[in-house]
Amino acid sequence: MRPSKAMRRGQGMRVAARRVITSVLGIVAFFLVWQLIATSGYVDTVMLPSPLEVFHSAAAIAETGELAEHTMASLARMALGYAVGSVLGVAFGVVLGRIIFLEWFVGPVLQMARAIPPLALVPLIIFWFGINEGAKVFLIAWATFFPVWINTLLGVKGVNPLFVRAGQSLGAQRATLLLRVVIPAALAPIFSGLRVALSISFTVLVAAELAGAIAGLGYFIQNSALSFRVDNIFVGIVVLAVLGFIADTLFMTLLYWLFPWYRAQQSGK
Amino acid sequence: MNLHQALVPAEAVRPNFIQIDAVSYSFGAAQQALHHVKLSIPKGQFVCLLGPSGCGKTTLLNLVAGFLSPTDGYIFVNGQVIDGPGPDRGMVFQDYSLFPWLTIQRNVEFGPSIAGLPARERRERARHYLDLVNLGHIAERYPSELSGGMKQRVAIARALAAGPQVLLMDEPFAALDAMTRNHLQSELIRIHELERPTILFVTHNIDEAIRLADRVLVMSPNPGRVVRDMTIELEKPRVRTSVDFARLYDSFEADIGHAAF
Repeated sequence: MRPSKAMRRGQGMRVAARRVITSVLGIVAFFLVWQLIATSGYVDTVMLPSPLEVFHSAAAIAETGELAEHTMASLARMALGYAVGSVLGVAFGVVLGRIIFLEWFVGPVLQMARAIPPLALVPLIIFWFGINEGAKVFLIAWATFFPVWINTLLGVKGVNPLFVRAGQSLGAQRATLLLRVVIPAALAPIFSGLRVALSISFTVLVAAELAGAIAGLGYFIQNSALSFRVDNIFVGIVVLAVLGFIADTLFMTLLYWLFPWYRAQQSGK
Repeated sequence: MNLHQALVPAEAVRPNFIQIDAVSYSFGAAQQALHHVKLSIPKGQFVCLLGPSGCGKTTLLNLVAGFLSPTDGYIFVNGQVIDGPGPDRGMVFQDYSLFPWLTIQRNVEFGPSIAGLPARERRERARHYLDLVNLGHIAERYPSELSGGMKQRVAIARALAAGPQVLLMDEPFAALDAMTRNHLQSELIRIHELERPTILFVTHNIDEAIRLADRVLVMSPNPGRVVRDMTIELEKPRVRTSVDFARLYDSFEADIGHAAF
């Protein structure tokens, strides 16, 4: 007998609940171990403050509005850089994936550029643009571009030829075929490129801010180090960890919501 | 397209609705997949291309679809020479080619929407063909939620909804279990009787060819060619246990046996 729809849904919810509870327990356990190590007396609490101390420091900085200010500064430049890099990445990926001349002509140069660790560009960028917004946004866009571009390119080139044939025999040609068959069929690899790029953009953001900024979480961490506030360094790190986690969760939630077929396809493969 | 149709005398019997005119096809210099195939297929006929693998039956289908171009010769459908795929020739593949990013409803609407039909009309059209394959109730699901048999029924509905003059089917039931295949064969016979599309159906299954076809073309490899052209007069639905069925089966088996070895 097949389980009814309601039963299956109930089961799915139970599994989801169990997952959330287990994950929360894992997080709690982590902070508990941290707390125990920090308060055990074997380590210097100035070097490794306990999570409770970090929380108190965070509350203090949050109260002055400073934490929000740094967070917003970081998020704003990250969002802009990520958006620019992603749009360009998808555009280049689609165009190079469809026009073989351009892939041969531009591809090798882009592959070489891709091989440059973005952090190696930080000194040059600062030299050129100074420490203003443009420099950081450029760097984030640069780092975001490559994973999105390469995944889009491979995705577009790897589209199941059966989909293309099906589209053609239903009357789709050129632009219609590209927009309604090729790009949708390549969405899964494009999404994974966007997801990888999201975490890379955090890395580059902080690196750029460490090298010089007047606001932002990277700047805040650097500044705390200069004033020997290890607790504040931890505040910055934890906020970054939480932001990264939220961004990725939000990304996947949005994806599943906008493209309900994507989850099924992922697990079906 | 409409202009052209107007010039042809309406609904007269067209013995050469599909005309395959001395068509050869080679994969490279050494491998001739099809050699000098000549065929005429009248409108509305259900034709099975039957043969072992490598006999060129799928190649012939892909040539009619326009996915391949003949090395030599021409193919005409409704008097027009084929030079690429188009919505006048609907395709059903063996592997389910439904678009996984669209709901069943949207999959079936794909052809009508490319053709520029207004939203209400294409919805009705999709609904009509989904009902025809008895799947009106799953319109809002995604292909990944469907069984293989359901996917193929949707694929048939999607092909028909684009309003093709010819339905090209490439071993559409080969990946299905025997019971589902049986069921879909009956549905296809019913659909053919209702809508009367011209069907070119590729199969390596003798039983399937005899059950479905008005006419069976037995093909043979090295080089690919038609070795037997047989019209089946038996009334549908055809009973497997009948003497006539068995006789046809034996004779096709003999043809393929000679052809393959």
